[in-house]
Order: sequence, then structure tokens, then C-alpha cells
Amino acid sequence: MSRLLALTRKEGLLLLRDPHALAVLFIMPVLFLVLMAAALSNYLRDEPAPLRLVLEIPRASEASDFLRDALQAQLTGSTLLEESADALPRITLAEDFSSSLLDSPHQGPTLSFPAQSDSQTRQRLRAALTIALAQTRLLAYLEDSEALPSDLKPDERLPLIRQRTQSEIVEQQLLASGELSGKANASQLSVPAWLIFGMFFVALPMAAGFQREQQSGTLLRFRTLELDLATLVLSKLLPYLVINLVQFALLLAIGVHLLPLLGLSGLSLPGEVLAYPLLALCLSLATCSLGLFLAALARSGEQALLLGGGINIILAAIGGIMVPKSVMPEFMGQLAEISPMSWALDAFLTLLVGQGGLVDIAPYCVRLILLALLLGGGGLFLFRKRVQQTQWTTHY
Amino acid sequence: MPARSRCWTASSCWYSSVLELRGVSFRYPGAGTAALHGIDLHLQAGECLGLLGGNGAGKTTLLSLLSGTLALQQGEIRWNGPRSLGLVPQQLAFYAELKVRENLTLFADLYRLRGSERQRRMALSIASAGLEDLLPRRAGRLSGGEQRRLNFAIGLLQPARLYLFDEATVGVDASSRQLLLDAVEQLTAEGHGVIYTSHYLDEVERVAQRILLLHEGRARLDLDKRQLLDAGHGLLLEWPEQVPPGLDTLLGQLQLSAERLPSGGLRIANLDAQQLLAITAFASEQPTLPSLLRFGRPSLEQLYLSLNGGRL
Repeated sequence: MSRLLALTRKEGLLLLRDPHALAVLFIMPVLFLVLMAAALSNYLRDEPAPLRLVLEIPRASEASDFLRDALQAQLTGSTLLEESADALPRITLAEDFSSSLLDSPHQGPTLSFPAQSDSQTRQRLRAALTIALAQTRLLAYLEDSEALPSDLKPDERLPLIRQRTQSEIVEQQLLASGELSGKANASQLSVPAWLIFGMFFVALPMAAGFQREQQSGTLLRFRTLELDLATLVLSKLLPYLVINLVQFALLLAIGVHLLPLLGLSGLSLPGEVLAYPLLALCLSLATCSLGLFLAALARSGEQALLLGGGINIILAAIGGIMVPKSVMPEFMGQLAEISPMSWALDAFLTLLVGQGGLVDIAPYCVRLILLALLLGGGGLFLFRKRVQQTQWTTHY
Repeated sequence: MPARSRCWTASSCWYSSVLELRGVSFRYPGAGTAALHGIDLHLQAGECLGLLGGNGAGKTTLLSLLSGTLALQQGEIRWNGPRSLGLVPQQLAFYAELKVRENLTLFADLYRLRGSERQRRMALSIASAGLEDLLPRRAGRLSGGEQRRLNFAIGLLQPARLYLFDEATVGVDASSRQLLLDAVEQLTAEGHGVIYTSHYLDEVERVAQRILLLHEGRARLDLDKRQLLDAGHGLLLEWPEQVPPGLDTLLGQLQLSAERLPSGGLRIANLDAQQLLAITAFASEQPTLPSLLRFGRPSLEQLYLSLNGGRL
């Protein structure tokens, strides 16, 4: 067996027998992926979640019935209760709701929210009530001006009003461009985010393993064997490149196949097929180069863990992994641009949401490769120095 | 038996040489004094050199220069042929998460062992370190002594002309130690050069044919072990404070001379029973009794202690 193959096999065996490394590389990102996809599933979903609310009507009338139907049409799937003691959003119509519809200025219903209502729910309910009320007032105006057919049945009024108030809006999807994280659903955001996070964690076992080699004296043996640097470095990089590719495939597969089984929106993989392996390779080169750099930079296993973990968490925090970039203020969005995790996430969103291709993700891939060259070059320089500094040490 | 004559210049004996050091000095960057001063050494095939010295004597520096982990600054290290080194360092230089067999296989691959030579060396190193029953076990779960034996076996596995053993038997039980020392002796019997450093002086005395004692970076003693064995019986005497007056007169009367040792004691060589009785009678009459009175052939430990100021 060649020296490179023997050393690569050794790295693989060491990794397979390190439960902590396996947990960090596989269990942690899978857990994060599933938990965060579930946690964000209400917030970041293609269809808004159904609501429960109370519509209090002190004096029922045709107008109040129409408003209820119009509101229900705006809030598809939601439950409109007549009364409830629960802390729910509440719309209360005035006693003279029906007779004051054409007043100008018009005093609308009262809308009250319990404290736990989030801003998205409030905004959605406010918009739905505004539209339903406008439709009710339009109906009142048309009736008052006798512009409606006299034989119009009650159940035909709402479709007619909706027809009169609806305009065809031309919506164009600009694929692979713009801020896509705001358009992504929970799975489209969580799967790539935690996949990238997990892939960057190869730096930890890589760096810790090198520290152990230096401290145990195996590196001293390698030095006396005159093992060339390229063999030693490649033996470190190759197994972790493979691990990264396995992580990539596994986590995407979980996104596609497992999430739907858990009742969450499944991931589809649109765009050019070749773009995915290209992104995986560029990302792996960047993460493994970071691992090499940290391995050579750290002076102990503890330092490697602290540096690697700390850097990854900071890159994730500013890179839109933990919090979507779409909800970040502008300066944080700009700060995110320095994080390679953000580059990789943007490339993913370009594929998953923007349905882009190789050309669309090329700028992100170039950035990742440049980073890999920079970190890899620096890492190689430091690594060579560390190997040369490996001395015969004595304890007794 | 290989020749052990010193032959710096005689090209006729170079064929049996493993390596030769001439005027090797080394100073660590920023250090006030040199770690090694002008070390000359000639190690022949089939010879084991016991390298001794206290902490900071320069042993590690010398081993580092020989292993190539330090670059030579001054002097010359000449290998007879390409540098070919087997290594048993103090550190447990293997992978704790790998099994014993996997460690040996890994290093056999790194040593580029193939075919029957690979099989032979694997079998030999396993047997020499007594690892037969430990092969399927994880290295990290072995006892301290068993881990030392694995460390030893990995060094032995490497085909080399010179083997360096640095405190190779620390923590190894008595019977396993005999096994490892047998393996070192076997190496020299097969014509390999060995440099053996240990604080267990009985081990060095057993396996080494030559002793090099380093003190503050200089060779304090370069002794053929046969000189030690050939030395006659002697008496070592030490008093807590100063040697009592009258001893010199007595020694003169007995026609004996004493060598004053750095430790403050005296070594009186080649004395007979009558002379011994006279000296012990004199010592017993003194107001302060000797702190050390030992008669016999000097052991390496006694010699080492006397030369090294009582420091092990």
C-alpha cells in the first residue's frame, strides 16, 4: 500500500472511531436541520398558516354577514369564531356597522390582538380586514346607487365584488438574482444553512488530529522517515473532502426525503444538476483548507477546538446561517458578505429558490476557491513550519 | 564480532562503521551556552552505545541531530551509506484509537515493507515485544507497559542500520523488560548499530558495549564496557563532611593511592583483604563514621554517580 493510501486509510479509521467527531459532523447538522426547519416552518412557508380569531357582531345584518364571508375568503383555512374566552385576535363591529358603511370618514371595526401575536400575524389580519371592509363598503355603495342587478342572490354578491375589485398583477420571477433568503421556505433555508455549518466543522477533527500527532510523537517518526509534505498534507485533506461530500449528499437527501415524512415541506433540487457537485467541491475545498490552516495554527488540541468552534459559530452568526439574512438590518447584511458561509448559502439559494445554474453560482464558487487557495497556501506554509519544528522531546 | 577500534582516519575499517561524528557542536537560538561542545563519536556495526547524562547534559540534542530533527550547525556527521534510522522515542508515538495490528500495519506501509520481508519483520517485532495476544486490542486501552512494548515494536519494525532507543522501557514490567532488552541485544548481534539511553543504568550496563557520558554538553567519559569489567575490586568511601586526617598517611603506609571523586568521596583500587581490614578499622575508629563504604567491582551506576557528582 502506498504511503498516501496508508495515511489516508488511517485518517478514515481514526475518524470512524471518534464518536465526538462523528456527532459534530453528522448528528449535529442533521438535528439542527430538522429542528430549525420545523421551528421556522410557520414563519417561512409558501402558504400562510391558518389563524383562529373572533369576529364579534353585536347586531347581525346582511352587511356583517358579507364582511364575515369576505374576511373568510381572505384568510383561507382560518377559523372565525363568534365568541371565545381564549386570548385570540378579535374584530369587533360597531352597533351601527351596517348603517354607517357609507359614512365618510368611516369609523371601521375595532381590531385587538393578544400580547403574543407576532407582527406577521398582526400585519396579515390588518390587511385581510382592510380588504374585506373595502369590499363590504363597495357592495353597500353599489346597492345604494342601484348599480347591482336586482335579481342578484346573496351568495352571488361576494364573487361579483371580488371580481370587480381584483386586478391581474403580472408577476415576474427574476431567477438567480436578488435577495433570495426572504423568498425561501423553511426547508430551502434550513437544509443548506445547517449543511454548510456541518461541513465547516471538519476543521475541528482535522486540527485536533494533527495536534495529537504532534504531541504523541508520531509526527517525529514521520520526520525521521522523511515523509514528504505533499503526502502528509494530502493524507489529511482527502478523507475530509470525502466526508464533506458525504455530508453534502446525506443532508440534501434528508431535506428531500425525510422532511416530508415529518410533515415539513420537502426540498426539491431544481436547476442544473452539475451545479450541485460543483458547489459541493468548492465548499469542501474551502472547509478543508480552513481545517489545514487551523491545524497548523493551533498549538494544542484544546486551542484547535476553541479556535475552530469559535470561528465557525461567528461565521455562521454573521453569515445568515443562524438568522436569515432577509431579517437582518442592512449593515448586518453587508457584514454577512465577509462570511464564506454566506457565499455558500447564497449559491444554494440561487439554485434552490432562484432555480439558477452553473453560471449563476460561478461567482460564489470563485470566491470559495480563492478562499481555499488563500487558507490552503497559508496553512501549507504554517504546516511545513510546524512539521519542521517537531523536535525530539523528553519527559524523563 | 565486529572490530571496535577507533578509526577516524583508517579507511580500512570504514566498512564496518555505521556513523561517525566529528567536532559536533550545537547551540539553540538565544541560548547563552552551547548544548553540545565538540562531540566525537564513532559507532560501528554491531555496537551498542549507552548514552548517559543528567538533565540538560545534551542527550536529546545529540539524538535530535542524529535523527535529523535538528540541523547540524558545526562539525560533521558522516553516515556510512544513506541515513537509515529506527526510532523508539520516549513519547508513545502511535495512534491510540487504532488497534495494535493496525498500528503495526500502518507503520509497515510507511516503512515500505513488502512481501516476505514485511511478514518476517512483522513477526519478529511482534514476538520481540510480546504483542501476540494484544494484536486485536485498541492501543489506547493497553496498560502503560503494553503501550511501551508497542512503541518498541514499531521502532523495531523499521529496517535500519542504526536504532535509537530513548527511555524505551519506562513503565514496563520486569519480564517484559527482559524481552525488550533481549531484542536490543539481538539487534547488535545482527550487526546493527544501537544508541541506547536510559536512566536504568543496569539496562545500559547490560546492553551497551560502550558508554558515552555527557555532562553539560561535553563528553565526560567514553568508556569501553570491558574496561569496567576489567577494573579490579575497589573501595568507595565517603564521609558526610571531610575526609578524616590520617587517612592519607594510612594509605601511604599500605602503599595504596586514592582517586578523589567529584562527589567528594574516594575510590581506592586494587586492594587486598589485609589492606581492606586496615582501612575499615581506621574508619570505624573515627568520631564520624563514613556515609558510604562499598567494596567490590564498580558498577556502572557507581561510576556514573561518581563522575556525575552524585546526580542520576
